[in-house]
Amino acid sequence: MQKGSFIKTIKSLEIPLKVGRVAKERYPLGLPLVTDSFRGAIVIDTTKCLGCGACTLACPPNALSMIFERERIVIEYFKGRCVFCGVCADKCPAEAIIITKEFELASASLEDLKEEVIHESSKCIVCGKPLASKKQVGHVKDALPNAKKYINMCSECRSKKIAKILALRLGEST
Amino acid sequence: MNAIVEEIANKAKELSGVIELVSETSVFVEVSRRSVREYVKWLYEKGAFLKTCVGVDERIINGTFALYYIFGFDEKGLDVIVKVSSPGGGAFKSISDVIPAAEWCELEARDLLGLHIEGHEKKPRFILPEDWPEGVYPLRKDAPHDYRPPANVEGFRKELPRRIGVPVGPYHPVLHEPIYFELYVKRERVIDVYYRGFHVHRGIEKLAESPRFTYNDIPFLAERICGICGFAHSSCYALAVEKAAKIDVPERALWIRSIALEVERIHSHLLWLGVTLHILGYDMGFMHVWRIREPVMVFAELLTGSRKTYGIAVIGGVRRDIDEDGKRKAFEVLRSVREEFKKLVDVILSVPEVVRRASGTGALPKDVARALNVVGPTARGSGFKRDVRKDYPYFAYRYASFNVPVYTEGDNLARLLVRIDEVFESISIIEQLLDTLPKGPIMTRSYEIPPLKKAVGAVEAPRGENVHFIITGSGKPYRWRVRAPTYANLPALKVMLKGVSLADAFLTIASIDPCISCTDRAVVIYDVDTGSSMCTSLVERGRRHAER
Repeated sequence: MQKGSFIKTIKSLEIPLKVGRVAKERYPLGLPLVTDSFRGAIVIDTTKCLGCGACTLACPPNALSMIFERERIVIEYFKGRCVFCGVCADKCPAEAIIITKEFELASASLEDLKEEVIHESSKCIVCGKPLASKKQVGHVKDALPNAKKYINMCSECRSKKIAKILALRLGEST
Repeated sequence: MNAIVEEIANKAKELSGVIELVSETSVFVEVSRRSVREYVKWLYEKGAFLKTCVGVDERIINGTFALYYIFGFDEKGLDVIVKVSSPGGGAFKSISDVIPAAEWCELEARDLLGLHIEGHEKKPRFILPEDWPEGVYPLRKDAPHDYRPPANVEGFRKELPRRIGVPVGPYHPVLHEPIYFELYVKRERVIDVYYRGFHVHRGIEKLAESPRFTYNDIPFLAERICGICGFAHSSCYALAVEKAAKIDVPERALWIRSIALEVERIHSHLLWLGVTLHILGYDMGFMHVWRIREPVMVFAELLTGSRKTYGIAVIGGVRRDIDEDGKRKAFEVLRSVREEFKKLVDVILSVPEVVRRASGTGALPKDVARALNVVGPTARGSGFKRDVRKDYPYFAYRYASFNVPVYTEGDNLARLLVRIDEVFESISIIEQLLDTLPKGPIMTRSYEIPPLKKAVGAVEAPRGENVHFIITGSGKPYRWRVRAPTYANLPALKVMLKGVSLADAFLTIASIDPCISCTDRAVVIYDVDTGSSMCTSLVERGRRHAER
């Protein structure tokens, strides 16, 4: 070994002396581990959520899903699949999705990783099929007062009704 | 039309080929199966590097199977895509005896699409596991994306060679990903290698064809191809789609993408350096390199919202902006990383166990590097000035000045020094780009992606050139092909490992910075017995050796 390189090797001891012995954080007592712009798990604000399901379509890994049950519509968020990209928050029309800094998600049970937002479902006034969440229907009613006639119908019944009206009109004119 | 394009076109016409499309950066040529070998040989001798080849099931479009060979003229910044097609998927002629680098991708096309390529008939399965049923070709459009064949353990047993060398892997404390090597040694020297990889083939390309995925979902899938250079993949996908659809991306977005790519390169090189020092038994270096790396990770999180999977690349721009506060923080971090890393490099390169073991081992001669078309630091360590950032300027790289470090020795030390130099270059690139960050929007939403447009996107990932090939479809890509850098570099290991002592074999394997999850698609066996026989079938020869 050359003399110069020996001195350099000795020099390497300088680095740990400067840095100190502990380069780690005193978890969980120390400073927060994440910065301000960190994207962690999401929280859905149940008061704002309309139950429209836009987030479930946008979610790349299918962590958000929309489940139609008899009386209700459930938006389910499964943290186990989430990639923490935050696309859902960009797409949410009601701004109900908040990106938190939560990342300590480990749990012994799978159910802890699931969060649900339950909506009452409104039914088609003609055929009685579940249509959409009551909240969403109400939201559309407020936004589009002219849509009142058709808003309580499912798409099939609506097209049938419109077809009937059109047929009647055509019948009148001929 | 410049001179080289004209020459390419004339040669194609001479062989009764058809010029499909000419743009500034790419030329699409279709030649017949009979004359493809002559044409690619001419291209290769003209100085083109083979990037990869792509098999496509185009039966829905025009009733044929197609094989696209993607060549690149580095100094001209021009991609040449040579298409060969066959109605029944038969009678393709292999070009792997002309260009050895074509072997892997041709075998992949054979396995996944059922193409019949002359010259590869007798080779064992490359990509599919041994128990995969005959006649099911996953990348054909009529194969369902969620098909799962029943597992059959019996199929694997006959695959094992009778004589077993020194096993390395599939799970090994030094190599952190599933990869399997068998080293045949004479006394202390490695004389032959049996390689079997592709344990983690995940069928990402097929998954992207499933109904669930749209154009803007795939960047998040692409990001998960690799755990270290994920952003290189997602931005490369976005680049390919933007090229195909001719989308004008706002300048600020291009700058932010380049900055994120360089942040990724710094952290990846520091990670690699740490692991390499660990392999060399110099753990103090390992810990301090990783200590220096930590602020880079925190900075990446501040910039993009996540330490590793940035999730900011979408088609038409990026999802996160850089504010003044982030800029200030960036300069601080970069300054301290540069200072500390400089000091540490000084120490590392004076430690005898690092320099002596790295120099002279794992040599990759320049001619072999050319024949196998290696990329990234592996090519630059063997004297090739190949860097996508300079050769095919994308994003904001044409607005930054930087050097491409090249070393001609071709040994492990050369590859180590290339990476160390690149860290400093990357720091300087980020500083320049932050200084000149233009104002404006970061995303455009006004674009349409027309169907059946083709494009090649290439991005310099930390490990080398990343190639994404796109054929657009309606609502999602018709075909999306990924070629990770390790896919091009791994075949070079057979030459590098020849003659190294067993103790240095791990260092040599690590020196190409193998990223197995990126690459994994196949089962290959190869041989390093004689350098001259390199151009003949590597797969068969290696197999014979293993059974001897």
